Amino acid sequence: MALTLVFAEAEADELSQQAGVFAAGLGHDLQAIAFDPSETYAPAAWAQTLVGLAQERGATAVVGPGTDRGNEVLAHVAAKLDQPMAANCTSVTAGDPVTVVRTRWGGSLLEEARVHGAPLLLTAAPHAVAAAPFAEVEIVTVTDAAGELDRVVRVVERIPASTAGVSLADADVVVSGGRGVGSAEGFSVIEELAALLGGAVGCSRAVTSAGWRPHTDQVGQTGTKISPEIYIACGISGATQHMAGCKGAKRLLAINPDGEASIFASADYAVIGDLHAVVPAISAEIRKVRST
Amino acid sequence: MLATSLTLFTVRVRFLVALLRAGAPLTRAGDVGRRVEHEGTIVLGQRKLLARIGPGLIHAFIFWGFLVLGPTIVIAMIGAVSKHATFPWLGDQGWYAFLVDLFAVLVLIGVLCALWIRKVQRPRRFEGSHLGEADFILGLIATIVITLLLWHATRIALGLNEWPASSAPASDLLSHLFARDGLTRVLERVFVWAHVTTILVFLAYLPRSKHLHIASAAFNVWYGRTGAGGRLEPLRFDDPDVPEEDIRFGAGTSADLTWKQMLDTFSCTECGRCQDVCPAFATGKVLSPKLLIMGLRDQVFADGASIVTARAAADAGGGAAGADDAPALDLTALVPDAVPEESVWDCVTCGACVQACPVSIEHVDHIVDLRRHLVMVESSFPSEAEPMLRDVERASNPWGKAQSERGDWADGLGVRILESGDTAPEYLYWVGCASSFDERARTTAESTVKLLQKAGVDFAILGAREACTGDPARRMGNEYVFQAFAEQNVETLNEAGVTKIIANCPHCFNTLGNEYPDFGGHYEVIHHTELLARLVAEGRLTPKRSDALQVTYHDSCYLARHNDVLAPPRDLVAAVGEPVEMARSGKQTFCCGAGGAHMWMEERASAINENRVREAVDTGAGTLAVACPYCTVMLDDGVQSVGAEMRVADVATLLAESLQD
Amino acid sequence: MNILVCVKRVPLTGGKITLTEDEQAIQTRHLGFTVSPHEECAAEEAIRLIEQHGGESVVLTLGPPEAEEQLRDMMAIGIDRAIHLVSDGGEWDPQATAAAIVAAIEADGTAFDLLLFGNESADAGNYQVAVRVAQALRRPCVTGIKAITADGDSLRCEQEVAGGRDVYAVPTPAVVTVKEGINLPRYPSVPGRMRAKRKPLSASEPTRADARLEMVRLVLPPGSSKQAEVLGHGPEAAPRVVEILQEIGVV
Repeated sequence: MALTLVFAEAEADELSQQAGVFAAGLGHDLQAIAFDPSETYAPAAWAQTLVGLAQERGATAVVGPGTDRGNEVLAHVAAKLDQPMAANCTSVTAGDPVTVVRTRWGGSLLEEARVHGAPLLLTAAPHAVAAAPFAEVEIVTVTDAAGELDRVVRVVERIPASTAGVSLADADVVVSGGRGVGSAEGFSVIEELAALLGGAVGCSRAVTSAGWRPHTDQVGQTGTKISPEIYIACGISGATQHMAGCKGAKRLLAINPDGEASIFASADYAVIGDLHAVVPAISAEIRKVRST
Repeated sequence: MLATSLTLFTVRVRFLVALLRAGAPLTRAGDVGRRVEHEGTIVLGQRKLLARIGPGLIHAFIFWGFLVLGPTIVIAMIGAVSKHATFPWLGDQGWYAFLVDLFAVLVLIGVLCALWIRKVQRPRRFEGSHLGEADFILGLIATIVITLLLWHATRIALGLNEWPASSAPASDLLSHLFARDGLTRVLERVFVWAHVTTILVFLAYLPRSKHLHIASAAFNVWYGRTGAGGRLEPLRFDDPDVPEEDIRFGAGTSADLTWKQMLDTFSCTECGRCQDVCPAFATGKVLSPKLLIMGLRDQVFADGASIVTARAAADAGGGAAGADDAPALDLTALVPDAVPEESVWDCVTCGACVQACPVSIEHVDHIVDLRRHLVMVESSFPSEAEPMLRDVERASNPWGKAQSERGDWADGLGVRILESGDTAPEYLYWVGCASSFDERARTTAESTVKLLQKAGVDFAILGAREACTGDPARRMGNEYVFQAFAEQNVETLNEAGVTKIIANCPHCFNTLGNEYPDFGGHYEVIHHTELLARLVAEGRLTPKRSDALQVTYHDSCYLARHNDVLAPPRDLVAAVGEPVEMARSGKQTFCCGAGGAHMWMEERASAINENRVREAVDTGAGTLAVACPYCTVMLDDGVQSVGAEMRVADVATLLAESLQD
Repeated sequence: MNILVCVKRVPLTGGKITLTEDEQAIQTRHLGFTVSPHEECAAEEAIRLIEQHGGESVVLTLGPPEAEEQLRDMMAIGIDRAIHLVSDGGEWDPQATAAAIVAAIEADGTAFDLLLFGNESADAGNYQVAVRVAQALRRPCVTGIKAITADGDSLRCEQEVAGGRDVYAVPTPAVVTVKEGINLPRYPSVPGRMRAKRKPLSASEPTRADARLEMVRLVLPPGSSKQAEVLGHGPEAAPRVVEILQEIGVV
């Protein structure tokens, strides 16, 4: 039976596990491959190793997670084999040729594409499918076949993140408060939720004008432009100047007591209610989910 | 002595004239009727000074006194040479002696009152002005009229007066101090010589002091704007006669100032009327229009000699070939050396300073020219405004919204979208970016179209073919981007055969009506309140008036001050409810804080919109009517931040509501 | 040091995306265009490196004739010259794109010390053109870089990863892809824009190889009709909110 190799960033890595579930859609045998933790990241060398394994075992597909490293390693594999590669696929349909649906525009648009190549090289878009643990992960080291050029690019140093936390512009989750927060102290519930989600705290212009938060926290046309996976806007009415700063957000959850607030027109999800009741409830629920 | 004084005067004046000639070109010709009118009202009539009756009268006394007393300079010079000679005819006239006597006293009263204002009242508008210099000048003026009165008094005492003593009651009164004796004969000589000497000192000092305005103000007023206040002078980027390295991108050094801008700086009297009405200054910003002009003047004078020399060298070199040999001017940057950078960005271009200036200084043009250089040459401006500049240019609107969604607000409203090749409607409704994209401002557009439909007006919108007028980019200083949009929009409008435009944004209204003619777009542009007021007057719209609805109307700067649209919105307010005026209304309006691209900048110090909202709240009205989408957003924000219970709504929305059954 | 920057012209989608009738492209009538954001930062980075170390910067694009606008934009902020691989505006797959770029680099003949790309294009997001070019030219390649320091024949490149930054020391000549945030691209001056009109631009029309990653059609994702899903009223909505957060993968 045909074999699919799955490149796993780590055995327990959620997005890699999702790639495994995704790859199972091809109906092949799956073999997850992860590099020994002692191996320094070296994308071309890792790719050469995967190429060797794929050729050695006659794999018909190599799949990776649609992460920075997953896409990078698979791109090297594709370049080395001179085969097409489809990045960030949400589904795959076996056939000749194989067809995939992949994301464009950071997920705002999908593309149906045919992949004319063998082995089939894909990465799986994050969160397109739910993760499931690998049956077994094979731990490998870099092949001797990797040449000097492959090995020269490798991580030589790791600078730990400063304690300042994630920046507003780069955060995957932004929790923002508007005039509805009511005071500088009122932001404690926003800060709590942001911390639980590993995200950054933002605010609207009204908040910085009132002096409740510094201008560096302001999301908007004249503040920071953000592009998180999800933007949680609490007590923000949705003025044009604010929305211009968060249009890069993949999803918008608005919490506002006024069901007619204009922010709901741009929101993906709405909770109608007072943020001072809703936000602590969400934080409590997250703690509950995590403790089980 | 006369020769020395005249030489000192002439040398300085010739230098100043040479400096003006070296200034960047600007056309301020034609419109002679308006210019004569300005001389009559602003200079002779002292109209702008008399807007403040106290200080205005003081200045008017001194100014009219100078006009009346002018000939006495010659009379006194003749008298100084020979105590028995005088100017033929005029020197003998009793009526003239009376006028001289009267105005000498009025000038003296004026000087004393001025000193009282400066020494006792000490109004804020004088902060930063050269107070010592002003005192010295007031002293000189006082000396001139006192010596004149005393000279006349001694002549009466000596019986030398050519006119009846009763013609000059003040001098006559003073003459009793003097006996007909030798001492008086000496004093008569002393006074006339003191008088003449003081005048000559004044003459030599005048062009080196802020009192240069005596000489320059009349010219500055003559060459002042005659058109709409809201129009900015376009820059030329594609003039085939100007080599690329010589293109003027606004004002980077004093050599870039136009001759009118130089003349502006010469004319500043440091009176501070501009500063008094400036919304930025009133809310604690760095900007003082007065200090800005003074800073520029100091720099112009510091650089003057090198500018004149460089110009002379260039002229002598004769044309382009010689210009290369001319020494390059190495002048200091106006910003931040002459003008603090923040002050350039504090301006909301509301024009209150220009309107208040008694000598027709055009502060906004200076500020925009400084911005132009900073933005177009240095790429240096408040970073938060960069998204707006980029979005206007790339997305055709200041928020980077999808241009394809511009007409979405009109979905289901039955509004005709004028496609290429369609027959032009009577009116093109120019919606503007704010009313197209901003949730709060969209209500205005919706109300406007409902009203136009109800009254049966033939109109259409351009939908996605409408682009930003370029106004925010222009006010921010990016003339280049503005002109690209002006050209594009003019092409669209001309191709569509548009002749009449309705605009609900005063900024679009100003740009389309006053600035697009410079780019080949000539349309009859009316504000939506003008058309709606006409429709109400004609009975095509019949609002129901409610006495219980107390409404205070906020004038938009670009509607009221820059374009004189005052009555139509008020007529509409009066047609729907009970109007209550704010103190600062009409052309004396106070900006909402969004003008001059401030919609896209962060505000320092206290908030202009809150200042204005407090004034509106104080009227006791429950509704704040506006006629500008930016005022709507700014004042609505202001109401929320001061925690007031007040509804902010466009006049059109109030009218639409009053028509509902 | 000589640097080549590869950029792509992309539409400014702003709000909701609509497709052309044949579903082959985004409806771009009335939309503005720009350089893909990562690539604009790449151009800025090239200009800064040249300002520090001297040399020539060149911008290259594969795109329709209108993409000259983007090349001029990059020259307006300081890139020295441009190479325009003129396409008919249709989709080029990553392999064909990389092959055209490699051919253009070889034809140009300049010994580029650094080829800069964006980490991925804003529209197609294939994440591979730079890697393919590097592989073809046998040069080392690092991706997703947020800081570059040139030190002799080596580049110190920093990449943001969970928990900090990974550092690479890459010998030149090299290929680097950068991410937005590495710098703030400067605002073009008007004299710069005017100079850009006169800067050299060489155009050629490469032939497109058959696509091996063949786009069949574009599809709008479900739920893009922008009607907010009401998750509930008040604190009772919390469990549903957390479900959503888990689906997205942030809990």
